[in-house]
Amino acid sequence: MSFSKEITLSKSSVPKVALLVLATIFAFGVFEVGFDQGQLFSIVFGEQAYADMYLHELTHDMRHAAGFPCH
Amino acid sequence: MRTSLFIVIILLSGCSAGIVHGLVNLAIVEPYLDRAIGIENQHMFASGEAKDTPQFWVEYYSYRAWQKGGQLLAGAILGTSIGALYGIVFGYARNILPGNSFIKKTLVLAAIMWVVLYLIPFAKYPSNPPTVGDPETIILRQTLYVLFIAISGFGALGFYQVYKRLKSRKMIAFIGYAGLMGMAFALMPQNPDAITAPMDLINGFRAVSLVGVSSFWLSVGLILGVLWQKLQPDKVKQSKFQ
Ligand SMILES: [Zn+2]
Repeated sequence: MSFSKEITLSKSSVPKVALLVLATIFAFGVFEVGFDQGQLFSIVFGEQAYADMYLHELTHDMRHAAGFPCH
Repeated sequence: MRTSLFIVIILLSGCSAGIVHGLVNLAIVEPYLDRAIGIENQHMFASGEAKDTPQFWVEYYSYRAWQKGGQLLAGAILGTSIGALYGIVFGYARNILPGNSFIKKTLVLAAIMWVVLYLIPFAKYPSNPPTVGDPETIILRQTLYVLFIAISGFGALGFYQVYKRLKSRKMIAFIGYAGLMGMAFALMPQNPDAITAPMDLINGFRAVSLVGVSSFWLSVGLILGVLWQKLQPDKVKQSKFQ
């Protein structure tokens, strides 16, 4: 009996692991495309990243098109 | 719920819808971006910041090709991440959403999130092509935009709780949300940047960017609906447990 109760619960709830994975992807992706001004690359490449802003240039057109504030 | 299947179909639908968004942008938004950046180039020539030489145009076109190629990659990244949020909400809301099939449910949720997280914020802070934004005000503009979306999103969640608890006259919840957004609309400061570019460029850009984002929400709703209907990640085989 207690088993069948567990089944109904697992059917209706969102797994915690999935929540964590999806929320992390959401935060990183939106930050990268919508807001990043070179911070993500600077973690790996240091200050030089701010000058180059590779990722920013690559996602730049989408930032404007998707409605995020830019230049 | 089968965790990995749940995650995979959400990411897959977000990513595919994001690529659709990128393709739509390539087709209809890029001409406006080219025009706006063309105006910037003229400003740079006029102010002496850059010289109108063949060398300039070689660099310019390779740089623009890099940026345009990025539409698809950025579409995939943004689509996957917005799709992740959409999938989380669908995971919680799927049993209460109206509709007798998963495709109807996913489309209803996509429509709600499109209005709450995009259309209403767009009405207050519409998208702008390059040349409009002042680098000095970027932090302020980003803060205002995020704040407005957060008010709309959490406001919708809050008034949904009100809606659930109301026994009758459930319209009150909608009126409450409309009142909240009306207040945010009136009280929050405008985008501080003055628009100097021609208005037909601005309005044309806003229209195509709206079409692009809408194509994302329509696609993500359709794709997740079809995948969910087919694979049903929340269906648990009883025999496994008996
Ligand atoms: Zn820009």
